[in-house]
Amino acid sequence: MNMFLHELKAYKKFTAIWIITLVGLVVLFLSMFPTISREAEEFKRIMQGFPESIRLALGLSVENIGSILGYYSYIFLYISLFGAIQAMIIGVSILSKEVRQKTADFLLTKPVTRSQIVTAKLLAALSSLVITNIAYLGAATVMASLVETKEYSTRLFLLLSMTLFFLQLIFLALGMIVSVLVPKIKSVLSISLGIVFAFFILGALISTTRDHALRYLTPFKYFDFAYIIQHSSYESSFIAAAIGFIAIAITASYIIYSKRDIHAV
Amino acid sequence: MSVIEINHLTKYYGKERGIIDINFDVEEKEIFGFIGPNGAGKSTTLRTLLGLIYPTSGSAKLFGKDCIKYGPELKREIGYLPSEVFYYDKMKVIDLLNYSASFYKKDCSKRIKDLAGIMDLNLNKKIDDLSFGNKKKVGIVQGLLHEPKLIILDEPTSGLDPLMQQRFFELLQEENRKGATILFSSHILGEVQRMCDRVAIIKEGKIIQLDKISALQESNYKKIKVQTSGSLDQNYFNIRGVSNLEVKQHIVSFLFRGNINSIMKKISETDIANLWVEEPDLEEIFLHFYEKES
Repeated sequence: MNMFLHELKAYKKFTAIWIITLVGLVVLFLSMFPTISREAEEFKRIMQGFPESIRLALGLSVENIGSILGYYSYIFLYISLFGAIQAMIIGVSILSKEVRQKTADFLLTKPVTRSQIVTAKLLAALSSLVITNIAYLGAATVMASLVETKEYSTRLFLLLSMTLFFLQLIFLALGMIVSVLVPKIKSVLSISLGIVFAFFILGALISTTRDHALRYLTPFKYFDFAYIIQHSSYESSFIAAAIGFIAIAITASYIIYSKRDIHAV
Repeated sequence: MSVIEINHLTKYYGKERGIIDINFDVEEKEIFGFIGPNGAGKSTTLRTLLGLIYPTSGSAKLFGKDCIKYGPELKREIGYLPSEVFYYDKMKVIDLLNYSASFYKKDCSKRIKDLAGIMDLNLNKKIDDLSFGNKKKVGIVQGLLHEPKLIILDEPTSGLDPLMQQRFFELLQEENRKGATILFSSHILGEVQRMCDRVAIIKEGKIIQLDKISALQESNYKKIKVQTSGSLDQNYFNIRGVSNLEVKQHIVSFLFRGNINSIMKKISETDIANLWVEEPDLEEIFLHFYEKES
């Protein structure tokens, strides 16, 4: 418990900054919605001028840009990018932080098992993400109800918004496994940004192919908004893939970390 | 009872040598010195005892229990001071110490105050703002605050000024009187001689000598350099116990081992301009061990 609280405190500022970033983003994007929906016809015409592959890569489905859910599906791509970065940074930090700050000797000579250390840190990271998502969901829901005058399904809106959390879980697990596999991480930010952008770009490329199987390659494609809006649910095969990946990555992290030599600095 | 039993402990980092077939025991309430040059394997041995690294082969027992298998449980009774201390920079000293104390199921607040008093450590500063020596003090308090039965110190005095070294050694001796066993590594012979009951000398991953300090002190070497006023017979100092004799004009230097009085008499009988008597450094002591081996 003491380790968990210590870690949580250490993430306080980090969490606050990301809440501000994500809430700021969604407020900014949604505040533009009234203008876009008013000019929807105009907007569609411009968009149709773009080659189809570019529209697909940008995640633009022209038909429903005028509705809040359609518009949200579009802007969410960028929100999810930022969310993924947050989760990746925290995931990579968890186990590399002690090595980088050279405090590993302090923690690992205390009467705790390495698993307990990983658990405390993982739970603290998870809490940071949960708090971020609660703040985000609140802000997004309020903002959406303010800008959309027509009827829309709040349930669908929440279902879409919650994908942020699931995406973050995947990147959290990915970050963790990266941090135990790469022996000495000097800059968490560069490695996190590098990996997230690689997956993001891969996602954009896959969008242009319409190949269903390729979507398993990048977490950014696990949640297809058109499908969610149509079926009012997530795609179970991708949920299974996500859960499988998270379980394997986290278990492997525990095992590798427990067996690792902690070198003197 | 042996508090530490090390059996054939070997550690390779890939192909690189860490330590090879280390064997020694440390008895209860003993102060045991572990001495050797940098890179000899001192830290590797200590870190294996603490479960920070895993042995390639061999094993070690603390309080009769395997140090890896029962590591977390054993660490309740261990206080450790790493050679280079780094702590959460943004924390205040007192917060760090309280965090450290929170791992042990006892109230350490009074003890923290006492120790900080003895070591002259300001508890309300941020760790970031502390000098190297002061960080070391945080490390010392951190390692002793739960009154461990086994204290493991990796080059504890580096960075401390002589006064603080003195206080620190007094503190350790007090802990020892109360029943703590102490294992500490150093590359300074003097402090090991002052503190320890027994000492193990490690070189290139292997223990080359394990002895009582009293036995080592009999082989007490002094490094002596004499500057004479007049010229001197080349072999004037060539008496029993003198080795590595070098004469350069008016400066004579040599290593001396034996009764210090005999050499002092010899020196006093000449007209000297200057005199240096130093503890030989480890390299020179090791040279002595190599000479014995060959």
